[in-house]
Amino acid sequence: MKASSPRPQDGPAETRAERAARWGDALLALPVWAMGWVRLLVGAAAGVLLVLAITVNLDAQQQFLFGALCFLAALALHRVAGRLATLAIVMLSVTASLRYMYWRVTDTLGFVDPLDMAFGYGLLAAELYALCVMLLSYFQTCWPLQRKPLPMPADVAHWPTVDIFIPTYNEPLDVVRQSVLTALSLDWPADKFRVYVLDDGRRDDFRAFCEEAGAGYLTRSDNRHAKAGNINAALARTHGEYVAIFDCDHIPTRSFLQICMGWFLKDPKLAMLQTPHVFFSPDPFERNLETFRTVPNEGELFYGVVQDGNDLWNATFFCGSCAVMRRSALADVGGVATESVTEDALTALKMNRAGYNTAYLAVPQAAGLATENLSRHIGQRTRWARGMAQIIRLNNPLLGRGLKIGQRLCYLNAMLHFFFGLPRVVFLTTPLAYLLFGANVFQSSAIMVAAYALPHIVHSNMASSRIQGRFRHSFWNEIYEAVLAWYIMRPALVTLVRPQSAIFNVTAKGGIIPQDYFDWTLARPYIVLLGLNLLGLVVGVGLLLAGTDSIDTTLTIVLNLAWTFYNIVITSASVAVAGEARQLRSTPRVPLDLPATAGLADGRLVACRTSDFSQGGLGLVLPEGLSVPLGETLQVSVFRNDEEGVFPAVVTFSRGNRLGVSFRELTLEQEKDLAQVTFARADTWANVWGRHTPDSPLTALSHIGRIGLRGFTLLLRELRGRAAAGLRRPATAETEN
Amino acid sequence: MKTIAIVSAKGGVGKSTVCANLCVALRQAGQAVLALDLDPQNALRLHLGADPADINGIARASLAGTPWRDACVLGSSGVHLLPFGLINESDRQALELSLATDPQWLPRNLASLDLADEALVLIDTPPGPSAYLRQVLSMADLVVAVTLADAASYATLPMLEGLILNYCAGRSSYAGHAYIINQVDGARRLAKDAAQVTRDALGERVIGVVHQDQAVGEALAHGRTAVEHDPHSQGRLDLLACAQWLMQQLPRSGGATT
Repeated sequence: MKASSPRPQDGPAETRAERAARWGDALLALPVWAMGWVRLLVGAAAGVLLVLAITVNLDAQQQFLFGALCFLAALALHRVAGRLATLAIVMLSVTASLRYMYWRVTDTLGFVDPLDMAFGYGLLAAELYALCVMLLSYFQTCWPLQRKPLPMPADVAHWPTVDIFIPTYNEPLDVVRQSVLTALSLDWPADKFRVYVLDDGRRDDFRAFCEEAGAGYLTRSDNRHAKAGNINAALARTHGEYVAIFDCDHIPTRSFLQICMGWFLKDPKLAMLQTPHVFFSPDPFERNLETFRTVPNEGELFYGVVQDGNDLWNATFFCGSCAVMRRSALADVGGVATESVTEDALTALKMNRAGYNTAYLAVPQAAGLATENLSRHIGQRTRWARGMAQIIRLNNPLLGRGLKIGQRLCYLNAMLHFFFGLPRVVFLTTPLAYLLFGANVFQSSAIMVAAYALPHIVHSNMASSRIQGRFRHSFWNEIYEAVLAWYIMRPALVTLVRPQSAIFNVTAKGGIIPQDYFDWTLARPYIVLLGLNLLGLVVGVGLLLAGTDSIDTTLTIVLNLAWTFYNIVITSASVAVAGEARQLRSTPRVPLDLPATAGLADGRLVACRTSDFSQGGLGLVLPEGLSVPLGETLQVSVFRNDEEGVFPAVVTFSRGNRLGVSFRELTLEQEKDLAQVTFARADTWANVWGRHTPDSPLTALSHIGRIGLRGFTLLLRELRGRAAAGLRRPATAETEN
Repeated sequence: MKTIAIVSAKGGVGKSTVCANLCVALRQAGQAVLALDLDPQNALRLHLGADPADINGIARASLAGTPWRDACVLGSSGVHLLPFGLINESDRQALELSLATDPQWLPRNLASLDLADEALVLIDTPPGPSAYLRQVLSMADLVVAVTLADAASYATLPMLEGLILNYCAGRSSYAGHAYIINQVDGARRLAKDAAQVTRDALGERVIGVVHQDQAVGEALAHGRTAVEHDPHSQGRLDLLACAQWLMQQLPRSGGATT
């Protein structure tokens, strides 16, 4: 143990798991790992053992025993903290899965029947894709870099100049003004940064607002290449050494530049530094399933684990917002890329190819609005999938110069990931091949399938939970993918064949959903899948009841029924996502507990606390026993250290000692003050980052089961409603691809 | 006995209000507190809930040569108070004349009270330079200056600093001086800026900012302090924070009462 960190004598005794974790860390820290020949030797030895573990032939009983021992080892390792235990859990999963695949390819493909062959090879292809993505993901995420911010030099004279770009096209001024005002108040020397609104909508009210607020306002004559073109046009007219880019609905905290810029001064080859995108409004999954702030959302895995893992391999990619780029490096790659609809990822790829470094800092320094309904969410993800498919065709990371192998694999996985659509649909229908058509997709006994497939499934779930647990709960991946699968499948594949077919569409944000509705159009594929699986379940149970000729047939039916049942849970949960819950607030509320005062009309100042804030108002908790009637005007003060912001407001909600107040006619000064005490606070988003309830696979499964039941109930109610009212399609529902 | 002088460069800054509220806050925190009013306006008694009809006080006692102890009253606030008392103009001139030639007037009379070591004496003074202020500054352990967040108050800061420096600096018992910015209205840009300028000028010595709060004035109308009057008022919280700061400055915070 290091002398600098003595363990307190009166602390609790070290448990066995803690001691193992400490030994693991010490082992990984040994200097021998820096020696090339040691790595080579150990790697070769491990490789030989791995090949043995994958290829040795075992009968069903031995394979079950082997699986059980590995499982117990993984369980024991799971209690040990540290990177070594994580790597061991991952390697157990790699072994189990490769062993499964080896057996699958060598022992289960003796198809005779053409039907068996069609279904069988289809499933194998889907499985090979899934295995590839899994192995690449392990490679990408098993050792997140966990970079920390570097402090800026004390002498402000050495701080560089930064241009802050806020591109906008058709978003309302209400959404944009908060971002602009907050960006203007960044903690950075006033003569060393300038905020520009890049308005492709060329709107007069934007121009007037920017003039009044003191932000630059840039337009161009056409809208070529959308956002990328907009930024490139602005690059030609500005001169800061660095460029920070924010989507117009992303509101930076005041510390953004001070947190981000340190690494640029330390590493002259650093071209781009990305920070996480966090959202203060629920995305459609979170809103419709009521999981906001309780279950990590779809995006959190990417910013919590994937980008941090990419950073280790120097393969962090730009995500279009909340990032800083070095102007000279950006100029070197010809500005923001325009060949793909995911111009951001391609720009980073080009920078990496040109020998620049890219970095990720997992400190949320901005927050924005999530997509507000499912169809727009799907539209956005479809765009990402198309963009990635374009990059595979136009700038394939496996080919060409300039990339290290780690970078190639990270980029490859980012792109391959978006082809999950077809394999996902295959997995959701595979057991039906047997139950409905009698096709045997495995030319093997059911007992052997169980002996090989179970370890593969169990270990991959354990390893995922270990790596991602803070940012993605077990099984949620299935729901996120199942919902998108049908819609993302075709565009991704079509773009792969014809890369120029994609057009950029803006993801609209900041809207409201006036009433609950069920998005029938979007839900149709899941309803069909759910119906098919239900049919499979009925047929399977019927087959069992009718009696079978052998134990093996019974077991085959049971395995397929279990799989079908799981598919029913996932598809019914997907149906639940299409039940759009109403969202009345266009400005979502963020919980925040701060001291405040309510200045009453009679001049009294009541000390109270805030419960939440939004762009338009505040929630207040008055001292017990006090209340203020509806419609009363107040002067509300909110504090940040010594600073006080005072805002005129009207009481729009009053129940007991809880108040909701709406701001009235804020001056620009007051709006800035409001941003300073709310959105711009450096700690608002960082405090909740990765702080979800830890993952527990069984809890997650039962939660998803309940959501599935809810999907069922919703569907039955909607069907009854439809039967009564005839076909009814809400006007707000739309599909956009 | 520790003496805390509450001073201001100009009138109308709420000095007596701050003094009375600090007395009650310290008293409620378990301190032994005596309030001493050296301001001929004789207003401190109104804040602390003493009988408004009573004209006695230390002025008459000093002129008559009777002990100060006899002038001591207990207000409804629970704080013991030595009011200035009501006297006519010629008597006041006579008193101030004798003060000018008797620098030991205040120390002698305070000593005659024979207070416990941990007792706190908060002394309200008339605004600006005066015979009373000289006596107080010459012996105070701690000086709390009250100022407003406006240009006029800001302009008087150097004068007050000079006075304090003149009488207090170098004295072994002197623990330092602090500022309270009173009646700040955060809704007014000018007031906010003035408060900020004052803060910048005084730095760490600003121990509190008290909001402009109707509840503070309302309390006086009820013959009480804001600290007693309205438990939820922001002005009260601000004053309590100032009292808290004072307690942290004291070497020991005894629980005994007068």
